Amino acid sequence: MLEVSSVNIAKALRAIKKSVWVYHLNSGSCNACDIEVLDALTPYFDVERFGIKLVGSPRHADVILFTGPVTRESLPKVVKTIKAMPRPRLILVLGSCGIGGGIWWDTYSTLGGFKKLEEILRENGVEVDRVVYVPGCPVRPEAIIYGMLLLLGLVEQKSKRVEVVASEG
Amino acid sequence: MKSDSSLSTIVKALEEVGAFVEEVRDSEVYFRVTRENVRAAARALYSLGAYLKTCAGVDERELSGLFAVYYIFGLDDHGVDAVLRVLVPQDDPWTVSVVPDVPAADWCELEVRDLLGIDFRGRLTKRLVLPEDWPEGVYPLRKEFKYDEKPPRVLREELSEEVGIPVGPYHPALHEPEYFELYVEGERVVDVAYRGFHVHRGIEKLAESQRFTYKQVPFLAERICGICGFVHSSCYVMAVEKAAGIVVPERAEFIRSIVLEVERLHSHLLWLGVAAHLLGYDAGFMHAWRIREQVMVLAEYLTGSRKTYGINLIGGVRKDINTEKIDKVLKTITDLRKEFTELVKAMLAVPQIKSRASGTGVLTKAEARALSVVGPVARASGLYRDVRKDYPYLAYKRVSFKVPLYTEGDNLARLLVRVDEVFESIEIIKQLIDMLPGGSVVVEEYDIPSGRRAVAAIEAPRGEDVHFIITGVGRPYRWRVRAPTYQNIPALRAMLRGTPLADAPLTIASIDPCFSCTDRVTVLDVRSGRKSFIRLKQGV
Repeated sequence: MLEVSSVNIAKALRAIKKSVWVYHLNSGSCNACDIEVLDALTPYFDVERFGIKLVGSPRHADVILFTGPVTRESLPKVVKTIKAMPRPRLILVLGSCGIGGGIWWDTYSTLGGFKKLEEILRENGVEVDRVVYVPGCPVRPEAIIYGMLLLLGLVEQKSKRVEVVASEG
Repeated sequence: MKSDSSLSTIVKALEEVGAFVEEVRDSEVYFRVTRENVRAAARALYSLGAYLKTCAGVDERELSGLFAVYYIFGLDDHGVDAVLRVLVPQDDPWTVSVVPDVPAADWCELEVRDLLGIDFRGRLTKRLVLPEDWPEGVYPLRKEFKYDEKPPRVLREELSEEVGIPVGPYHPALHEPEYFELYVEGERVVDVAYRGFHVHRGIEKLAESQRFTYKQVPFLAERICGICGFVHSSCYVMAVEKAAGIVVPERAEFIRSIVLEVERLHSHLLWLGVAAHLLGYDAGFMHAWRIREQVMVLAEYLTGSRKTYGINLIGGVRKDINTEKIDKVLKTITDLRKEFTELVKAMLAVPQIKSRASGTGVLTKAEARALSVVGPVARASGLYRDVRKDYPYLAYKRVSFKVPLYTEGDNLARLLVRVDEVFESIEIIKQLIDMLPGGSVVVEEYDIPSGRRAVAAIEAPRGEDVHFIITGVGRPYRWRVRAPTYQNIPALRAMLRGTPLADAPLTIASIDPCFSCTDRVTVLDVRSGRKSFIRLKQGV
């Protein structure tokens, strides 16, 4: 989880907690994460019972579900879409591609994931308030739900970041 | 299947136009033809009833000092692939286009032009695959271009002010970034411009790079598409096996076929749900996806993953199926059959579904033929095309099933083809399970010689998926993927013309577009002469 905000997120979260509108932003992914997103929204996992609902415009969105490695062609449109979202901008980055570009992290036509996109967003003056990364190739629907709860501050993060220094020899 | 007489007919017809046989392998015949004669050769093949599968540009300068363009034609009636190889000198890279005679070659020729820098004469050319800010004269598929080179980028505001009705690139009806611009007069669509290739990730180039070996490419192929990924990895391994002459154990062929059909089930259920959603019948959407979930669970049980199964190896599969799994498969498909029958009954009883789907988005048989469309789109327009029947592969020669055929060519026909196919798939799985032979599931000792060529095709849920491979040392020298949607999107123009605007999203969805497959990678000047434009910022 990454906090980079000057906006009062706690206050905003209290307001949206039980009615979270999500917008699905595909930046060139293979569809697998995307159909798992739909899986999470449909009756078996049924996140609509928690008030999570897919909307058709980033202007209505509380959270963006971000998939894909950010292809060169989609980049300007992705920036524009994220810019159109109101503050606080909460982003749930789904899948290996979204996180680090996945298997095509260094090819000529991809940017290599959300970290690289963040730099470009910053250059264009688009601030992002909170980001949660959900790994998986593709992500499991259960993981998407957990990631969402983490983003909304409803659960504590179970794993911790640990810096490890490789010993010599 | 191939007989000597059909082969000699093809050879004779092509020798008359100056082509000569280069190589005959299994069910493929390779012809060499000069760039001046290629159009006549393509016309000759087309008049024999061939469909264009795809074309591929190859940088063969390391081998022969020349570029090559391969046109791959499939003669469905004979079960033979005829491949035309046109050599193009590197200091004068042009060839004659076959598009005036074979409209289906439109996109693949443009792709060769973009990625390899070969010019096509006798047709209109424009940039198709590469982004608009990509510099001129940089061609990713040339061998000197490194796969991770990144030419400078210009971040531009796209989407000009004066447009028709923009659908996408981010639109509720599309789950992938693609951009359609619909031009309307009143309520009728008069033209459509398409700017796709947002999901071009450079996969073909990546497979040639040092990062990959033969054994690792199935992992990459599976990620071409998250819906029909197993089709791609199977098609890749089949192409390699064919090129290297590796004989796969029968049990592995059966397991691959079973998993392919499981994938078809989940894909068709997914599509049916999306179609119901676009028609405003959300109950149908939810039910289709509820039913589909058990197929996902089954896939995980069989392969270890819900998606991107990862069980394909060159020479076989990684996972066997035991009796316990067989029971689970049979139980799941029996339940599925029952629930799906109910769903279809309920869905088709909704009067709006039938009235909105019938008569909209019509694709005539002649148009379907000219554009070489594939899969359910072809079968709904009265073309009897199914790779499983025309070029039997894996275990499909052992099972009996019907190929659903409709002649109306409208959205309803495409819907019904897919509904029928779900029932057929269930029957196919039952038969395969019944006949599952014993033995091992993989051969581990094999050798892949370089310089071999092979074409493999699989009937994906969306239609014929074609992989063409030229083997190299340690990794493919060139690997060309032609996904079914690639062949079907150009047909949308014909389908959308004259359709009411409200039916456009359903029509676009009716080909079951899968852009990530298509884009492994327009400036269309259609504005002039159009009467009215509606400006909308977001969505329809």
